[in-house]
Amino acid sequence: MSTIIKAINISKVYHKSTVPVHAVNNLSLNIEEGEFTAIVGPSGCGKTTLLNILGGLDQPTEGKVEVDGTDISSMKDSELIDFRLRNIGFVFQAYNLIPVLTARENVEFIMLLQKRNKKERHDRAMELLESMDIADKANSKPSQLSGGQQQRVAVARALASKPRFILADEPTANLDSSSTNNLLDLMAKMNEEQKATFIFSTHDQRVMDKARRIVTLEDGAIVSDVKR
Amino acid sequence: MIAIIAWRNVWRNKGRSLVVIGAMTVGIWALTFAGGFMQSFLTSYIESAIRHETSNGQVHHPEFTQDYDIQYNIKDYESILGFLKQSEVVESVTTRSLVNGMISSSRQATGVKIIGINPEEEAKVTALNTLISEGTYFEGISRNPVLIGNKLAEKLKVNVRSKVVLTFQDIEGNITAGSFRVAGILNASSVAISESSAYVLKSDLNRLLNIGDNIHEIAYTTVTGTDDEALANRIQTNFENDKVESWKEISPALVFMEQMMASMLKILIIIIMSALAFGIINTMLMAVLERIRELGMLMALGMKRAKVFLMIIVETIYLSTVGGPVGLFIGYATISYLGKVGIDLTDYSEGLEAIGYNSILYPLLQPMDYVQIVIGVIMTAFLASIYPAWKAIKLKPIDALHAI
Repeated sequence: MSTIIKAINISKVYHKSTVPVHAVNNLSLNIEEGEFTAIVGPSGCGKTTLLNILGGLDQPTEGKVEVDGTDISSMKDSELIDFRLRNIGFVFQAYNLIPVLTARENVEFIMLLQKRNKKERHDRAMELLESMDIADKANSKPSQLSGGQQQRVAVARALASKPRFILADEPTANLDSSSTNNLLDLMAKMNEEQKATFIFSTHDQRVMDKARRIVTLEDGAIVSDVKR
Repeated sequence: MIAIIAWRNVWRNKGRSLVVIGAMTVGIWALTFAGGFMQSFLTSYIESAIRHETSNGQVHHPEFTQDYDIQYNIKDYESILGFLKQSEVVESVTTRSLVNGMISSSRQATGVKIIGINPEEEAKVTALNTLISEGTYFEGISRNPVLIGNKLAEKLKVNVRSKVVLTFQDIEGNITAGSFRVAGILNASSVAISESSAYVLKSDLNRLLNIGDNIHEIAYTTVTGTDDEALANRIQTNFENDKVESWKEISPALVFMEQMMASMLKILIIIIMSALAFGIINTMLMAVLERIRELGMLMALGMKRAKVFLMIIVETIYLSTVGGPVGLFIGYATISYLGKVGIDLTDYSEGLEAIGYNSILYPLLQPMDYVQIVIGVIMTAFLASIYPAWKAIKLKPIDALHAI
């Protein structure tokens, strides 16, 4: 398996108050293709900051992040937007679907930004919705879906662009137990079948149980990195 | 899909969008109506002035209009009349002799412009006969009949059949006077007609002036839609020894009024559109601030800032232009209806007529005025969209995603 992400000695310091806060502290991490990795740790340990940096949403104060050998830490904002579109899928804690679009349109949207043709968009959106067991809700708006259904649409959207990896920030935080299990099974299935690389932050034990690699953070640094 | 998202976004908050669309509709309607109303004032004034005073064009001796010296008569007027009568666009023609003088009754005296006319020709050109409010149009008085305006009659304290004396200088500079009897009193919105003109038969005036058949003025009317300036230039080219003027040259004040009204319409457009623009900006800013997280998510997923900008612009233009055509249509319908039946301002007729307006106004808007309004709406929508769109693209995806 090849290395997709290489985080090299990255630090992130916030200066929001008089005392600087080291959200990520001289952290190095490699992610291999096809991994199903959970980044865990207590609240405020830097999980979300690390995911934001890996996803090119935030820049490290020090160090660099390479994706397939490309240093994304020095990219301009406009280059990063394009890079994210082509390489990274996102799943957010609050689902963040576009409320005025249907489930299918939400999945198609990312492919539209990639300028794929209509038939390809439609076919892939339906295929992904079927994979996520939600094809029957293709024409429903997010407001007509439950939290679990919305998050499944969000995962389908993240996979739609055929990204190099998917970042999921606390994807199950707003879900009940049954929806969480369902979602995790589906994500694991996509990981198995499509070799999709998943990296998610969580402090949910059920998610940790499904992960094949668990990276534990404390005070912005890795304290353990266990592969199973 | 940006167009679809933008359209659906407009209807996310139906109440708020409908308020803006309603404001646009009412604003555009008000603008159209106000423009039509202003135009009717202008048209009424200009048409009245052309109809009863200046006509569409006039011919004089080049020196005559400087100080109304009666020796400057039109030399070859027969040729000019022949040319005008052959022209397809000239409707009617009349000739006049003119002199400035005094009119006096037994109780008052005042200065007037004495106009010698041929009643039949004059009726066709200026419809002077239609302005008779008391008495007759030169009928019933066998010798030296005169028509005067109602204001002048009041000033002189005379009635129909009263005797007045007109005093002026003849062609040799001798003071001469003639006794005239009021045949009719004219009720005109024009101040010139109602207060300072006396109409007599051209034959009577020419006899007293001792100028034979000479005339000082040829006035002509043209068919609707004629380019009066072009016609005047054409006549001028054929008769270089005389001075031919269209109504625009005869009365620059009318042209000034026309330009002023056009400027006022533009100012009105700017005022109403500015008010609407601030309403639109406020609504769109709210829409953007409510969707910070969503906009951040779009940029995080890979939507370029230019597309986010475009989406907000399109959304604003939708919001603005939905109400525009509706307001424009209602405005057009209002103008069309009132343009036929008129707006009756009889209650204010005295005041309106005192300043030269008719008491029934017929709103009218030219196609170009509608084009101006449409351009105004589009410009307003575009300009109003820039600030909210700029606010949207200034968001950082990471901050926006974490916004509450």
